[in-house]
Amino acid sequence: MEMFLDFFSNTGFALADYRNLIMLGIGMLFIYLGIAKDYEPLLLVPIGFGILLGNIPVFKGLGLSIYESNSVLHYLYYGVTQGIYPPLIFMGIGAMTDFSTLLARPVLMLLGAAAQTGIFLTFLGALALGFAPNEAASIGIIGGADGPTAIFLTAKLAKELIGPIAVAAYSYMALVPVIQPPIMRLLTTRKERLIRMEEPRQVSKREKLIFPIIAVLLCCYTAPAALPLLGLLFLGNLLKEAVVTERLAQAARTSVIDTVTILLGMTVGASTQANVFLTSKSIGIFVLGAISFCIATAAGLLFAKIMNLFLKQKINPLLGAAGVSAVPDSARVVQMVGRAEDDTNFLLMHAMAPNVSGVIGSAVGAGILWSFIVG
Amino acid sequence: MTGIEAILHHNGFGMAAVGVTIVFTALVTLSLIISQLHKLLLVWEERETYINKARRMFSLLGPKEVRRAKNGEKQAKAKYIASIKESSRQFNILIQAMGEPFSLPELIRIAESLGIESPYAAVAHLIEGDLIIPDQKGFYLWNHEAYNSLSKRS
Repeated sequence: MEMFLDFFSNTGFALADYRNLIMLGIGMLFIYLGIAKDYEPLLLVPIGFGILLGNIPVFKGLGLSIYESNSVLHYLYYGVTQGIYPPLIFMGIGAMTDFSTLLARPVLMLLGAAAQTGIFLTFLGALALGFAPNEAASIGIIGGADGPTAIFLTAKLAKELIGPIAVAAYSYMALVPVIQPPIMRLLTTRKERLIRMEEPRQVSKREKLIFPIIAVLLCCYTAPAALPLLGLLFLGNLLKEAVVTERLAQAARTSVIDTVTILLGMTVGASTQANVFLTSKSIGIFVLGAISFCIATAAGLLFAKIMNLFLKQKINPLLGAAGVSAVPDSARVVQMVGRAEDDTNFLLMHAMAPNVSGVIGSAVGAGILWSFIVG
Repeated sequence: MTGIEAILHHNGFGMAAVGVTIVFTALVTLSLIISQLHKLLLVWEERETYINKARRMFSLLGPKEVRRAKNGEKQAKAKYIASIKESSRQFNILIQAMGEPFSLPELIRIAESLGIESPYAAVAHLIEGDLIIPDQKGFYLWNHEAYNSLSKRS
């Protein structure tokens, strides 16, 4: 009987408290949103399941918890804490991305830059709320709406915040179709939403081949700290465009990115143990993250309107909302909102240009913040 | 420490202003470069024309019309060979990956999916140049001999 009671005292049932139950609820909500609502299922399902794993209370000393140095989860989490997984994901994204629309209309790249204003304004907001500069930078990057970038920067600057920041970043990425449309409608008139974009010019294969080389050199010479992310992003893109390396590109955009996404999602989820995650800081991070995301969307929209004051051929300001780098969700939202006004107006292809430049912009922004804080 | 005091203490305004400026500088520079890239490539592709123009300016040999006609002919031929060589290089890799014999629609479909420029025209040129030859059973073969001799041509 004593043995049984001793064993029972070490089970999850005996060790759990109400905070674990809250986290289990959040994990199940993520799994539900991913499977039933189809909100970013490739991310929310592994993260949600990871939250369940992380909130099974375990007896310390057996090497089971993600925070115990000899546990399996801890080894898998190493890729997150050392910033290894995000660049690999970027390589896969590069191997999937077609930069044609950006090459055809480079001026749309400015919308991707404008949306990054959200990162820096939120950085100021977080500093004003009393967060340390390294934490404020990690919170600000949520506005980039780029999960891997947010995780990468947080791993470098504020490891203890990886869980809440990753969960916040991916939650807002999943909620792009809910968060962005009201801001888009609020900041644009119907007449503006009806603007049609002219057909982009045909982009040659040679341009597509040269672009990743020019882009990596220029961006990384300007912001060297963006090298791990942008280096692999453009490597992936070069593999795709080179044709002769199709096999490598295929691996990068399928097996590599899928494997890393599973490991990253699951371990980030598992890192959200109730005692680490349910803190007042996490609430602050979620609130500031949402504000950051909204500012980024608004900044892109407003910048597009400002550009229209100078451009002969007006652009649809909805494209500005795609400057946040949630690829391709924010571009899809632009298409959705545009079609709600005129179902023959196809904006998706055009919105991909600010969308992919947002990826580049947020990586540059992360690199800058990293070098400011550490340097 | 909170509020403006905290921002000032950590030099937040400076970092934010410089950060935004660097992001804009990087992306504006990149957009300027790529907006001119296709023009630069066009100049590169038409380099023969420009070189000949320059030669013509300095050359005193023969009547103008004859020189112009000869130059035009040479340019067209050089351009055609260059385009065939480029297409043959890409399609050689593709066909090696597909295996032989291959079906033309499948070849064109894969070429299109990989973003190869004007695959229909390219395949037509390769058939005209005897680089792609029918196997008399409804499929096609890659003429390695013709490809090797084309590759050696300057």
